Parts: sequence; structure tokens; C-alpha cells
Amino acid sequence: MSWRWALARRVAKLAATDGGGGAQAQRLLPTSSAAAGTGLLGRLHMPLASQIRSKVVGCRGAALVSSRWLHDAQYQVRQDGASRAQEQQDPFELVADELSLLANRLRSMVAAEVPKLASAAEYFFKVGAEGKRFRPTVLLLMASALKFPLSESTEGGVLSILADKLRTRQQNIAEITEMIHVASLLHDDVLDDADTRRGVSSLNLIMGNKLSVLAGDFLLSRACVALAALGNTEVVSLMATAVEHLVTGETMQISTSREQRRSMEYYLQKTYYKTASLISNSCKAVAILAGHTAEVSMLAYEYGRNLGLAFQLIDDVLDFTGTSASLGKGSLSDIRHGIITAPMLYAIEEFPQLQEVVDRGFDNPANIEIALDYLRKSRGIERTKELAREHADRAVKAIESLPDSDDEDVLTSRRALIDITERVITRTK
Amino acid sequence: MLPGRILLAGLRRSASAASSVAQSPKNMCYWDRVIWSSRYFHSASDNAFSEGGSKAKELPDPFALIKDEVSEVTDRLRSMVVAEIPELTSTAGYFFRAGAEGKRTCPTVLLLMASAISTDMSDPIVGLENKPRARHMRVAEITEMIHISNLIHDDVLDNADTRRGMDSLNFTVGKKLAVLAGDFLLFRAFSAAVALDNTEVVSLLATAVNNLVTGELMQLTITPAQRCSMDYYLQKTYYKTAALISNSCKAVAVLSGQTTEVQDLAYQYGRHLGIAYQLIDDILDFTGTSASLGKASFSDINQGIVTAPILFAMEEFPQLREIVEQGFDDPSNVDVVLKYLQKSQGIERTRLLAAEHAKLAAAAIDDLPASEDPVVLSSRQALKDLTQKFLRRTK
Repeated sequence: MSWRWALARRVAKLAATDGGGGAQAQRLLPTSSAAAGTGLLGRLHMPLASQIRSKVVGCRGAALVSSRWLHDAQYQVRQDGASRAQEQQDPFELVADELSLLANRLRSMVAAEVPKLASAAEYFFKVGAEGKRFRPTVLLLMASALKFPLSESTEGGVLSILADKLRTRQQNIAEITEMIHVASLLHDDVLDDADTRRGVSSLNLIMGNKLSVLAGDFLLSRACVALAALGNTEVVSLMATAVEHLVTGETMQISTSREQRRSMEYYLQKTYYKTASLISNSCKAVAILAGHTAEVSMLAYEYGRNLGLAFQLIDDVLDFTGTSASLGKGSLSDIRHGIITAPMLYAIEEFPQLQEVVDRGFDNPANIEIALDYLRKSRGIERTKELAREHADRAVKAIESLPDSDDEDVLTSRRALIDITERVITRTK
Repeated sequence: MLPGRILLAGLRRSASAASSVAQSPKNMCYWDRVIWSSRYFHSASDNAFSEGGSKAKELPDPFALIKDEVSEVTDRLRSMVVAEIPELTSTAGYFFRAGAEGKRTCPTVLLLMASAISTDMSDPIVGLENKPRARHMRVAEITEMIHISNLIHDDVLDNADTRRGMDSLNFTVGKKLAVLAGDFLLFRAFSAAVALDNTEVVSLLATAVNNLVTGELMQLTITPAQRCSMDYYLQKTYYKTAALISNSCKAVAVLSGQTTEVQDLAYQYGRHLGIAYQLIDDILDFTGTSASLGKASFSDINQGIVTAPILFAMEEFPQLREIVEQGFDDPSNVDVVLKYLQKSQGIERTRLLAAEHAKLAAAAIDDLPASEDPVVLSSRQALKDLTQKFLRRTK
């Protein structure tokens, strides 16, 4: 669905640039202070980035960035309305360096004995198509947000070594999640005969059906190997469940019966499977790797789940209201493929006669026009946005319910996660 | 296209049929197996059976020794693939329906291997909960699921219409659902592997899965030069056919807490068995018939896949190399190659190579630590007989 690349392509521009290119830090949302802010932040960013670029962005590195962050760009916290932010720092910037590291690691992990495959699997990780970094960003931020406070840690001391090791494992989760996600898209492509995905010709078109299936298989098997290496059975279970859900969701979409197409419940279930399950289970996995309690792990899960759902709901709205240039896929693509989404389902509740129109199918473009007419008359779009807001609020609540921490890095990451929920629902493309 | 409902009904029918059959104990208790195996052992020693293969007497059927347990495996597999939605359950369980299970070579080999390396004599009267045996059965189930997942994807990639003498899954429900079913099976298998709580076993199986994909990729991306290389062919064959069974045999040994030597012997057995199996398969693709194979014959060469017989023929007739490098888009090339093959010793030499690998597999079994347990001995004999059985098969 379009949300994957819409927001994520923005991220690509951010994540693809090194810290040094941070001077070009783009905003996801145009704000009035953007112009002024960019220059200021850009200047501040450069020396910082060069300092930490050569090292793994460990706790200390992140703390450095975030403390400057806090001082130089007062960040608005949602619940305390006291201080107004002068400008909003981009949450994705916070982990941009780490993400570059992941990308490089992924590339070498993908270099198989069969070189042709490496180019195939790399396709979606290359600069330009690197939009798919949204998930890893959330996961890395979640990892930071859940950090246990380090008492006495000297550089190279035991505690900091352990912390680094944990961070690496959490990064592995991010990589695995990305591999699973791309694999599912590759297999999706085989199914949908999608001509373009993410604004670039899909792999399917370029390299043929067979290679797509195999490349997907390859990524899945590599994910298996990486999961096995983590040696944590609960984490593996979670990721395996996520994959099952992806498959189930896609199957639900293909084999929807008429009755099921009318059901909001079915739609939400399918949406959870297809979109939210992966991010929620990997958030939980990140928490579990850190050794958190079941409660905290569930909070991480809840954040991911609600974020994913909110994202998808807005994506559904944008499929009606967006423009094709920005979505990378023709808009109204859902309805053209006969996929009935939340706005339409709400509209049907208000105008039962719309059901008939929907049942007729949308091979005939005139039918699409009729359906859109009803949609315009109805509160379908509004109600969907409201539902998305509801989920976003729940995601925020989950973060706010996390155990207290004094660590600046932790607090910054949590604010970033909250910020992301805001961006998710207010994005316009 | 067969509606999902009918598939699911078939699945339910076979599951209920199985449960209404006379109950065998959860795991055959030790003494039952002793009785079984002594019957097997006597019939085996009755045969004047030599390495060269006795034509006079029939080999006892190694599959028979263990078929009850293998049935249990299949039954359990049906329940292991139940998904949240019926469409997925029916597609994933397609090859586990009654009559669709195939020879179930993987579970057979693995269960025999488990018995063959068993050294636990301390508690001969095993209760109903034979825990180690249960874990071995899990490995058998997992391996079978991975195997089927691989078959399903292979058929999608090859656009195959038939498999095991019936419609392939992709022919029945389309490529979409077949690919998804394969993914589902793979991760179900992976979850089950993880539940065994042994990281080495999980690692081995993950490696096997990886190898399967690599092998397939080697096939898909083959260059003209690689097409003519016996080394490339053998490596690819290992990945595609032997990697799974060899790694699972090793996994069985690991689960039994065996030494690294025994683990390696188990691995070697699986490896040589797998390669021997594939070599014979390659021969049959030229000598078998559609009826006997359950799938099209000459399918390898028609798909441009160059196998051992042709590679051997190329050694005798270097002019064949040029044609092979050209590929087989032109059907007349196929005819030319077949003519050369007939003139050459390609088939015979492949058979010899297969026999060589069978011998190595049997040797691995012979190298296992000595044992006097009749169950162990008959399982080992069965494993050796299996290698011969593979060499002689006609389908």
C-alpha cells in the first residue's frame, strides 16, 4: 500500500544522506519556520555528525546528539503544553547514521554466493529506493526509548560493552524486519503484477517473475539464518508469527468473499495482519531482547500496532485524496483493484445503497465515479481520520506508560516516537 | 480450479479417517520395535544381498519398518498447518492430504537415523512419553514441511502442472496462493524448529533452507560455461537435493546428544544419499515415462537443465559442448543432444557415480559406533537397504 513508500521515501532522502549532508535536512511537513530552521540546524549538525560518524552510534554517541538537540531545539512534549517548540527536529535524523550502518550491513549480508541475486535483493535497499527505512527508524528509536539506565559506565567498561552488544542485536531485528518486509513485497509483486512500486519500476518487471519469487525466498531464508543467530526463541516466535500474519493478510485480501468485503471488522483484521503485525511484533522483539518485562514488551507492541494501523488508515484516505505524483502509484488504486477500504466502508454504513454499487465491482470506471460521489457526500473520510487519530493517541499513550527514566537519550527517543505518530496522521502525501 | 472448500473438506476427511483407524501408541514402545525389527532383520539376512545388488531376491522394504511412525508424522503435519483462515489451511495442507503424501522419504530416513544412532539402553521399557523420540519426530515433521514448501515454490517457478501424479498446487489455486502457502509452511516449520529449543538444530535447518534457495538460484542464473561444468552441477545438486536431508540427519544426531563424529557420519549419510537420489532422478528423466514418474519426462532438458548424463556425454563427445552452451530454446538442439546421449556412456557413468555415493552412504552407517541393540541394528540395515533401493528405482 502507498503508505510504505509515501512517508518512507521522505525518510530515504534523510536517511540516505550522511550526517554530513544533514545540512540538507528536509522537513516532512513544511512549517513556517522551516526556512530559518534548516540553516540553523544544518550548521549545528555538521560538526556533530562528523564526530560520531566514524564510530558506531552507541549510547554515548546518541546521547551527544540528543543533548545538543535538547539544548538547541527545545522539543515540544505533547503532555506538557508549557514550552512551545521553536522548531521541531526531525525524529528520523536522530538515527540516520545508525541507519546507514544498517544499510551497509544489509548489503553485505545479502551478498550471496550467487551474485545475480545480490543485485536483485539489493534493489530495494539501494539509494533512491531506500524509502523502506521507516520501520528500522521506529525500531531503533524504540530500542533507545527502552534503554535501561547505565550507572557507572566508562568507555569500554563491561556495561558499555554489553550495551553495545544489545544494540547490535536490536539492530539485527531492524534488519530482519526489513528483509521480511521486502520479501513480502517481492512476493506481493508477483501477485499484483504491479507496474510501479515506490515510483520505480518494480523488480518483477525488470527481472522477471521467477527471480522475484526467488529473491523473496532468499530474503526470507536469510532472515531465518539471522533469527537463528540471535538465539532467542521468543523473538523468533514473534517474527515467525509476523510472517504468518503477512501471508494471512495477503490471502485474506485475495480470497475476500462478498460478505467479508462489507465487514469493517474483517477489514481491520486484514489491515492488522498486512500492515501492523510486522512492526508491532518487531517492536516487542526489541523490548524482549533488552530483557524487559512482559508489561513493557506489550507497551512496545501496542505502540507498533497502533502506529501501523494509523498509518494504514491514513494511507487509505490518501489513496482517495492524494495525487499520483506523490503516491508513486496511481491514486484510487485500491478501488481500482477492488479493494474496499475504511472510508468506503464507513460511507456504506451511511448510504446502504452504496453497497450495491460496490458489489457490482469496479471494472467499469463509471461505477468508480458513482462510489466516489457517495464517498464525498458521506463522512467516510472524516471518520477514517478520526479512527486514525484514535490509534495514534493509543500509540502515544503506550509510550507515555513506559517506566520513567531520567536518561536524556531515552526521553528524546520517546518524544521522537510520539512525534512520529503525529506526522503519520498529519501527512498530506 | 478446485474450490478451497473442497480442498479443506478433503483435508478434514483424511484427518478424521486417520484418527478412526486403530490407535497405535503415541510412540511405538521399545519392545514392539524390537519385534518389528527382528522380523526385518531376519528377512534382510535371508537375502543373499551384496553390494553389487542382488537381482534374485527382493529387498525388504525399509519404509515398512517405520511406516506407522511416519503415518503419525503425516497426521501431525495436517494439524500443524492449520491457519487462521481456511483458504490458507487448505493450500498449505494440500500435499498432506490422504493419498497426496508421496513417498515421505524425508521422515522415513530421519526416523530410521534416529533409531540407528540411538545409544540409550538405560531404560529399555519406555513409557508412553518417549521424549527423545518425540523430538526426533518433530525434526521429521519440520523437514517434511520445509521440503513441501520448497516443492510448492519449485512448481511455481517451473510452471509445473503436475506433481506426484496429480495437479500441482499452483495449477489448482494459482501462483499467488501457492507462493503464499509455501511461505507459510516455511515459517511454520521454522517456528516448530525454534520450539525444540536447540540453537544448533535451528541453525542447521536455517542453513538447509538457505541452501535450497541458493541451489535454485544457481539453476536460474546459470551461464553457458557453468552449464557445462560437472563441479557446478554437483554443487547445485547438493544444495537443491542433499542439503536438507543431510542437515536434518545431523540435527537428529545433535538432538540425541551424539558426538561430533556421529553427527558428521549422519550428515555424510544424508549427503551421499541425497546426491545418489538425484543422480538416479536425472537418469530417470531420460529413461522413465510420464506414467511412471508422475510428471513429464525429458522435463529437465526441455527446460534447458543439463544434468549428469549429458555432462558425461560431453566428456566423450566434445562437439556436444557447443550445442549445450547454445542452450535449448531451439528444440532441435534437444534432439541432437539426445542422440549423442544414446551413443555415449553418459547414463551408465551416472549410474556408476550414483552407486559410488550409495556406497559412501552405507560406509557412513558402517562407521557408526558398534551396537548390539536389535532395533539399532535393523535401523542401520534399513538405511543401507534404502541406498540400494534408490539405485534400483524405476520411478
